[in-house]
Amino acid sequence: MPGFVREHSWPIVLSVVLHGALAAALLAATLISVNHSLPTMQPIPVDAVVVDSQVLHAAQRALTERAEQEAARVRAAADAKAAADAAAAQAAADAQMAAAKQQAAEEAKSAAAEVERTKQAEAARASSEAQKVAAAKRAEDAKRAEDAKRAEDAKRAEDAQRAAEAKQADDAKHAADLKAKAEREAELKRQLAEEEHVSAVEASPARAQYIARLAARIQNAWIKPPSARAGLDCIVNITQIPGGEVTSAHVSQCNGDAAARQSIENAVYRASPLPAPPDPALFERNLVIHFHPDE
Amino acid sequence: MHKLFSCLAVLVLTWACPFTHASEFVVEVTKGQTEAIPIAVVPFASAELTAASFDVAQLVSDDLARSGRFKTMDRKDMIEQPHTGANIGFDDWRRLNNDYMVVGSMQADGPDRYSITYELYNVLTKQRLLGFQISSNRAGLRSAGHQIADAVFEKILGIRGAFSTRIAYISVLGHLPDKTYQLIVADADGENPHVVMQSREPLMSPSWSPDGSSLAYVSFEQRLPTMYVQTLKTGDRRVVSAQAGVNQAPSWSPDGKKLALVLSTRDGNLDIYVKDLTTQQLSRITDDPGIDTEPQWSKDGQSIYFTSDRAGGPQIYKVGIRPGDKPRRLTFQGSYNARPRISPDESQLAFVTQENGDYRIATMDLRGRGDVQVLTKGHFDVSPSYAPNGAVLIYASRDKGRGVLALVSADGRVQQRLVSSEGELQEPAWAPF
Repeated sequence: MPGFVREHSWPIVLSVVLHGALAAALLAATLISVNHSLPTMQPIPVDAVVVDSQVLHAAQRALTERAEQEAARVRAAADAKAAADAAAAQAAADAQMAAAKQQAAEEAKSAAAEVERTKQAEAARASSEAQKVAAAKRAEDAKRAEDAKRAEDAKRAEDAQRAAEAKQADDAKHAADLKAKAEREAELKRQLAEEEHVSAVEASPARAQYIARLAARIQNAWIKPPSARAGLDCIVNITQIPGGEVTSAHVSQCNGDAAARQSIENAVYRASPLPAPPDPALFERNLVIHFHPDE
Repeated sequence: MHKLFSCLAVLVLTWACPFTHASEFVVEVTKGQTEAIPIAVVPFASAELTAASFDVAQLVSDDLARSGRFKTMDRKDMIEQPHTGANIGFDDWRRLNNDYMVVGSMQADGPDRYSITYELYNVLTKQRLLGFQISSNRAGLRSAGHQIADAVFEKILGIRGAFSTRIAYISVLGHLPDKTYQLIVADADGENPHVVMQSREPLMSPSWSPDGSSLAYVSFEQRLPTMYVQTLKTGDRRVVSAQAGVNQAPSWSPDGKKLALVLSTRDGNLDIYVKDLTTQQLSRITDDPGIDTEPQWSKDGQSIYFTSDRAGGPQIYKVGIRPGDKPRRLTFQGSYNARPRISPDESQLAFVTQENGDYRIATMDLRGRGDVQVLTKGHFDVSPSYAPNGAVLIYASRDKGRGVLALVSADGRVQQRLVSSEGELQEPAWAPF
């Protein structure tokens, strides 16, 4: 028996698992059919909310603002990454250059050692074979010349290699610089495009018309107190909601007296609801009104 | 600058500055209106208490309306009559186009004791601007009302109200040979008149001392014109000038120590003199064969405005009081400009001008280009006098053949008759604060 089990352990496990699964499926099917046989007649809850168009607009605006913020965040991240990449490239180039320098130094050192060794051997040979000096002198001279030439060649090769390595490092740095510059230019271009768009909207006749309408409306509503004469200069920050109703007005800076400030604040409320823009896209929630009477 | 810094901070932190830049939406406002400010003065007390005492709220409302600076709401248009700020439905009052409202209550605290509590609200901002309590007897309720109007006026316009001040004028009663002349001092609204001096002979040219304690005037009670100064509180009076010939048109120097006046030489030529009231010393200011009259001191007490016909018709001149100063002509428009009066801040000169045969009150801008504006539309509007806050002028006019007093705002926008008792009213002079 144990031998059988050992021999057929996999099929047995499989069969047990399959049986278990079948049993579970049957139980589940039974439960589901039971549930189905008892349909519940629950009313469908309708979560009706009257959405104020202003609220909706505010929500949309909040959404837009969030998207804008997200875009700004993504852009900031991209900028950070570009900066990091450039820094990494620079670091790699620096490391490479340091390695090249070290290699060159080591090669120079070993070449110098070789020369020293040759020199010592030759000196020994000279002492033991003094008599051969005259005969050997020409050969030795030739050899020394050859050695010198070899050392010279080695040095030249080394220089060439070092130059090549330096150039490579330089090229890498240059490439990184170019990339960073290109990215900066792209960013600048994007900002310019954005500003161009803004100024295009600002310069549009519809916007000018909107501002003129607002100014006319507020001028008509402003009852000047005796102190409001030429020289008065006041800024009021106001908030309006779609529909033009002014919800807040604050005199932020003003060189006038209390009566002048009050008249200015009142002018804004008297002008409420403010005129609608010719193009709904021009609607601005926050307006800055600059009061500076010319007489 | 602050904005720039916050913008930079935002730029550094999020690179989002272009967005904040896009929301900068600046509207330039360079013009405003000079129309009256709408205000509602809600009745302070029940009809019964008002009938038994005095309608203070109505007086406040009338004062404000008379100033020309306010447009008051008619009581019958008031949808409710709150007495405290807590009961004001601001949105409703705003819908009725009120910028401000005064609410209050009056209680009878004793047999002849009343307390008035009042508040001023800005309907647009829902802010409480004033809140006071005044205690008064029955006789003082009128002046309590003027006080409230003054406080409201000053709070909203930034200039002092002149509702609690007084006016002096001449009233002529009866017909020849039974004429009576009276010098009267009354409240600025014409109420509460008191006879200060009465004569069978003409009284002329009342002029207030700068401290409001005395009046200088000319009386013919001795058959010859004589100039007196009378202290109002005591009724004491003294002669200040009784030269042979005319003694006329007194005007107090700003420090109250001197009088400018008009005297005549033997041949009848009129010139301006200054009399020091302490030393009695007389100094001659003008010396011209023409008529120089109606002097008025400049604010700094160094010059005198006057009328002269030296160039043919009457025109207005100004001369320094130092010996040798040459008069300078100020009016050039039209053939008749007389009786100069300067506004309290000396920014404006009021005078009588002739227009198509009618006499009218006009003003000239003394600070700018000398623009002239004719304020009134009557046939015989003369003797202008500024309220001490410069907002309104009082003048003498004629209505159905009778001399009356009228008011016109310094910008000419609002004109109003002053209620008056019987008689022919002349030469009003507005007292200082």
